[in-house]
Amino acid sequence: MSCKLTPWGAAGVVRNLSVRTRRTPTIPFQIATRSEPQQLAHKTPFIITRRGFSDDTTTNITTASPDQPPPENAYVPKPPEHFAPNFLNADAIAALEKAAAGKSLDDDGTEGLLFDMPDRVGKQEKLQNRYHPVVEQVTKLLMKNGKLAQAQRNMAMILNYLRTSPAPKVSPLRPLLPGSPPPDQLPLNPLLYLTLAIDSVAPLIRIRSLSGAAGGGRALELPQPMAARAPPHRRHFATKFAQELISVVEGKSTVWEKRNNIHKLGTAARANLTHHAVVGKKGNKR
Amino acid sequence: MASANCWRCLARPSQRLLVPASLLSTPPTPASAATFTTSAQLRAVKAGSKDDVNLSRHIRAGKNLILGKKKKRPADKGKPPASGERKAFRKRIQLSNNNALEVPGLSEMTAENIVDPSSVGKILGLPEVVLDQLRASEAFKPTQTWGLFRSPHTLIRAETVDLAKQLTDAIGKKETLRLVITGDRATGKSMLGLQALATGFMNNWIVINIPEGQELTTAATEYSQIHNSEQFSQPVYTVKLFQAIFKANQHILSQYKVEMDHMHLPISVNRGMTLAALANVTKEPEFAWPVFQAFWKELLLPGRPPIMFALDGLSHIMRVSDYRSPSFELIHSHDLSLLRLFTDALGGKTTFANGAAILGVCTKGNNPIIPSMEKALEQAAAAQAGEPIPPRDPFFKKYDERVFDALRGVRILNVKGVSKPEARALMEYWAASGILRLRVDEKNVSEKWTLAGCGILGEMERAALYDVRSPV
Repeated sequence: MSCKLTPWGAAGVVRNLSVRTRRTPTIPFQIATRSEPQQLAHKTPFIITRRGFSDDTTTNITTASPDQPPPENAYVPKPPEHFAPNFLNADAIAALEKAAAGKSLDDDGTEGLLFDMPDRVGKQEKLQNRYHPVVEQVTKLLMKNGKLAQAQRNMAMILNYLRTSPAPKVSPLRPLLPGSPPPDQLPLNPLLYLTLAIDSVAPLIRIRSLSGAAGGGRALELPQPMAARAPPHRRHFATKFAQELISVVEGKSTVWEKRNNIHKLGTAARANLTHHAVVGKKGNKR
Repeated sequence: MASANCWRCLARPSQRLLVPASLLSTPPTPASAATFTTSAQLRAVKAGSKDDVNLSRHIRAGKNLILGKKKKRPADKGKPPASGERKAFRKRIQLSNNNALEVPGLSEMTAENIVDPSSVGKILGLPEVVLDQLRASEAFKPTQTWGLFRSPHTLIRAETVDLAKQLTDAIGKKETLRLVITGDRATGKSMLGLQALATGFMNNWIVINIPEGQELTTAATEYSQIHNSEQFSQPVYTVKLFQAIFKANQHILSQYKVEMDHMHLPISVNRGMTLAALANVTKEPEFAWPVFQAFWKELLLPGRPPIMFALDGLSHIMRVSDYRSPSFELIHSHDLSLLRLFTDALGGKTTFANGAAILGVCTKGNNPIIPSMEKALEQAAAAQAGEPIPPRDPFFKKYDERVFDALRGVRILNVKGVSKPEARALMEYWAASGILRLRVDEKNVSEKWTLAGCGILGEMERAALYDVRSPV
């Protein structure tokens, strides 16, 4: 939270103060007390009207006729009220006083709420994901031909089946993850059932192979701990593909070697073209 | 090491020089393709001629090792599911789940406590006998979540007590209550219908239930023209309905005897036979409708038990059906004899000497929009509330007068979401069954209640029971 007592904050508060130097015409009691001649005087056209008829040679200036009485009190400009007592200023002044007292300018927000104010959600943050990550991952693995809705329906049926089928009998030969709940509690929590099945059967390590490091062209196989969820293989697929294209054009790619090998093999195997398996038997297309 | 061959095309330099380019047969190049590559052309040729000599493999006389080629998987040996098996699986009704916990301390529903206002907001179990009767009359639906809990229990809501009270009051005064249950989607209309049927069974009324109006009008069951009549009967469905009536109401029907002479019937029905025997007398579709008419006449005689006749999916029977007459015109649903029986009863044309309750339950899930029915229900609701009756749209000419006749003067029960105390009772039951893994406090109840559009029950189930969200 930024400090609300910065000079800019106070300046903002001051800017909010609406300073009215003129009498506001909307205040009802002023409208009610306004006298008729004053309204007439307001309605008379101003200088612009006269300027519009400037080519008119006849002077058309309206002068107060002698039979009409002059306005009772002449216009006296009021001194500007810097803090006119209207509601806008009242709010702003209250905010200013609050800022001066060192309080936050925002409301606490807890008044009138039945429960606590929820935390503000971040910009990139979702309030809640629709599905549990495991459910989402499995559903998308079930998906065929991009039919997500069908996969979701299947997933719902799978979870319902887990709910209603009798409790599993766990084999002592294949223990589940340590700390798992007793099996008769599993059907009541199908999500846990699914997660436990997947996590219990998942290997704890993966094998990474260093090619050629074992000597004799053999790969050196190294065990490596697995991540909680294996990263998608094609994370930088586009970049990798583009880099491969560039290296092909630059001649650095290994596919050139592959091509040469194939060509060499093909040249060596030219003799097979006259082999009886190809030429001799008619209709034996291989 | 450099190859002796041409770098590009595998031809020897000598050959390449000797053969003029015009003799090399190349398919015409599309204008847009690049001239230096032949990939597109080669692919096009390959796609056309499938049985080309495939020389891409190494040819050897003896053992042949094929790598990198997909092996054909053996065909799936499992039998495909028989016809109707998948639908049966989808539509099966399971009323218990042994995994769910037994909830102690819940009392059973009786004829007394269902009309008691103090039981609003309680969960009551369905008695074993009523369960069998409801099952026989197909009151349970596959979409309802009976299969998650140990034994069937229902929430008694304010509407339930209101409806049960209306039913028992009307029937106690030997009047006919004609009532339509409407409401938004998934508010529990069918469940309310089920509770009404249970009330009927517990009060020993004769309960006739048509579980899906749709089954009768979508041309899914056989029909035949009734002789010398404009109506059509649905014999196979009638036989099925007879069996349901017999199973559900056997102990009441067996107390009453046939009192009229039914000379015209093709089978011998004599006096002294019980009504249960009459309901069970025929399994022949040809005789079903005449026997049903005789059965109905017997039921209407004074001194018989009251009748409750309910139909779910009311809007499906308020339209022109998918059946065709011999002149290939579409038949109106009200010309189907069984439905005519129901609509006459609902519209007040039939008089019941012993009191009756005619219930039409609307559906909103798979619902045809019928302007006449909407207007008729609107008018009935306004008349019930004592408000000015909304007139028909003068510029709409497709109003169906028969629908207005069928819904004349019905009472309307508009089902809305449950209140928060009711929602709390329900969630406590879910939690006690072990299905809902949540602390049931005011905050959670309010949250689910709000998420469910102010306590719409089906949505509450979706928000609470089928919740596979990630923890926040």
